[in-house]
Amino acid sequence: MERIPFLSGNEAIARGAVRAGLGFACGYPGTPSTEIVEELARLEGPPLVEWCINEKVALETGIGASLAGARTLVTMKHVGLNVAADPFMTLALTGVNAGLAVVSADDPGMHSSQNEQDNRHFAAFARVPLLEPADSQEAYDFVAWAFELSEEFDTPVLLRSTTRISHGRGRVVPRAPVVVEDRSYVRDIAKYVMVPDYARERNRLALARLERLRRRAEESPLNVLEAGTTDIGIIASGAAYTYAREAFPKAWFLKLGMSHPLPYRKVAKLYDSVSRVFVVEELDPFLEDQVRALGLPVVGKEVIPRNGELNQEIVFDALEPLLKRRPPRRKRAVFPPPPVIAPAPQAADDLPVRPPVLCPGCPHRAVYAMLRREKVAVMGDIGCYTLGALPPLLSLESCVCMGAGIGMMAGINRRMGRAAAVAVIGDSTFFHSGITPLIDARYNQTPGLVIVLDNRTTAMTGHQGHPGTGLHPDRSSGPAVDIEALCRGIGVPAATVDAFDEEAVRAAIREALAGDELRVLVALAPCILMDRGPHEGVVVDDDRCNLCGLCLELGCPAVVAGDEAIEVTSDCTGCGVCLAVCARGAISLPSDAGGDES
Amino acid sequence: MNGTTTVSLAGVGGQGIILAAAIVAQAAMAAGFDVKASEVKGMAQRGGSVVSTVRYGRQVWSPVSPRADLVIATETLEGRRALALLADKGTLVYATTEIAPGSVLRGERAYPTDLADAARARLIQLIAVDAEALAIEAGSVRAANVALLGAATHALPFGSGAWDLALEQTVPPKILELNRRAFALGRDAAAPTEEGL
Repeated sequence: MERIPFLSGNEAIARGAVRAGLGFACGYPGTPSTEIVEELARLEGPPLVEWCINEKVALETGIGASLAGARTLVTMKHVGLNVAADPFMTLALTGVNAGLAVVSADDPGMHSSQNEQDNRHFAAFARVPLLEPADSQEAYDFVAWAFELSEEFDTPVLLRSTTRISHGRGRVVPRAPVVVEDRSYVRDIAKYVMVPDYARERNRLALARLERLRRRAEESPLNVLEAGTTDIGIIASGAAYTYAREAFPKAWFLKLGMSHPLPYRKVAKLYDSVSRVFVVEELDPFLEDQVRALGLPVVGKEVIPRNGELNQEIVFDALEPLLKRRPPRRKRAVFPPPPVIAPAPQAADDLPVRPPVLCPGCPHRAVYAMLRREKVAVMGDIGCYTLGALPPLLSLESCVCMGAGIGMMAGINRRMGRAAAVAVIGDSTFFHSGITPLIDARYNQTPGLVIVLDNRTTAMTGHQGHPGTGLHPDRSSGPAVDIEALCRGIGVPAATVDAFDEEAVRAAIREALAGDELRVLVALAPCILMDRGPHEGVVVDDDRCNLCGLCLELGCPAVVAGDEAIEVTSDCTGCGVCLAVCARGAISLPSDAGGDES
Repeated sequence: MNGTTTVSLAGVGGQGIILAAAIVAQAAMAAGFDVKASEVKGMAQRGGSVVSTVRYGRQVWSPVSPRADLVIATETLEGRRALALLADKGTLVYATTEIAPGSVLRGERAYPTDLADAARARLIQLIAVDAEALAIEAGSVRAANVALLGAATHALPFGSGAWDLALEQTVPPKILELNRRAFALGRDAAAPTEEGL
């Protein structure tokens, strides 16, 4: 007979993930989470597994892998989720492709940590499901549940362990491997580009999803009402459940494996069975406050310490004296009605909408004009260039948070084993949080291309300075950091080209897509708003123009569909991007058309 | 609501809505009102629809309101869109400037022409101003926002002293004279005695 493995919770999470069809795992080491990635790396025939530069980049890389079809596990300790909070909060809106579980290993008692924050709040904060295993077997089993919930409800799942779960050991009965549905990258701009209009809609969906998840928590076999032989009931999850179970073996239990959203009716059912109920939980009154909000009498943090770890004696000594008291008066639970979700405002009249657009003469448009000719997924983030996702350009496919595009590109390309995605990032955003994922992509030998759209300013917010310009709020200037030199220092080949030099931009893109290494292209041209002109517009040859509409697909506000031919408004700066796409040579620069060549 | 008057300024990002709103707010304060105001910045600035709001009265609590008594629109389609904000019998002062949004540029949609009908149905008073022409006459097309404000003075209870002070306090000194000219041209162009308003 095969020996039943005796595993730590972390080893069990790793093996449970592989059993559940894991395709990609990454994380940043941090006690008590570290051994998950280590165990994955040890396993035979391991999926892709890597250490990332930090937890934020790890999650962004994980999002990319999920988008590319890999069931993905991202591991970190509790404080690591603070670092990854930026992608985590917005991932809760975009949802996933293949299942994605974030493991947060919390450290009550601060054995090896600078604080003991209770990360269950993060699940409530982001409105995503929370799974809490109570031993190694559950740690193993819950990963599959996490992936399934993630895919069914299109949400990341927070799998929360604590030191005693991660580092405790127990027997783990292996289960049959899960058959995983094949998934591949699907371009879905409205789902993954969180510009305000799209994010508002995803937010509505996430709120509605939370109510569906609550119904699932009511039915879930992870939430078990365990009958006892005494008149007391205990609500508990994770390690606290094991302490309470030993301290009060005859009590009734509501054992929560899926502890967010809270299954209200299961809580009420416990109250139907016993006359007094305790909540036993480590750290914050996360469950207790919600039970109290149902109008039910409950005892929790007034006797159970709010700080540090619990154990059997602490739980027994805290609750035992209360058993002699008279039970509280029976009350009926009042279930909070589901919240109102404000619908999208309906415009009173059917008028043409006016979304924000890239300005005439914007250098970002020049780069997008080249990118949209290539069969490549373009990952991005936050800045004026996010507008490249909107019609008619439709050239950007993700925007999760600052710097996320590079990690997501890495995740996709790691999964695909080639440069299937590129990333664009603004110069200010590059300094904000583009450097760490670039170093990570170099470290993890990811093929790809990062295009820094260097317009020499923080344009969208109104032209603030940044380390690449050396400009300060009072307009004084100091040392400036050279992006290309910085990239070379990391060991990433980098080149700078004029963003309007379409041949150079196209050549750089094609070269990067054909190769298997990581490159940076700095597409340089100052924001057109910093150059107020005067500008001379391009000239249209009405006889050659057949109104094919190719130039209109660039979304330039200065190019108008006329009756017979394209017309150019006085806003045209003569940047010439439309020349490059015109198949009939109907557009020319003013100098070429016989204007002044100065 | 509650004795507070709401002025919404609508236009296309980049047309100087924020400056115009600042001038209205200063003028209201100079006229002795309590004032609160709100503006939209960031992504919406890039050529998208923008609305700023100025509210004045004896005591104003919130800087925003879903309903406006007066809309000042620097572009016709945005004025048309802002009818949805206006209370019935409210006033729309709008520039005859037309800036086609993307869908119109590409020929997918037509620029709407039903402003007069839509306003009439709700007894909304329209005041049309060729603000760009007036601004060019004053010296620069970029003062069209201020020329339009001049025209809107007839719909607001602030004295000329309050407006003068507001311009001086809000407009950068380098372009103050130009904007004063534009403002005066707008005010004269929309004077209630003239015909065709």
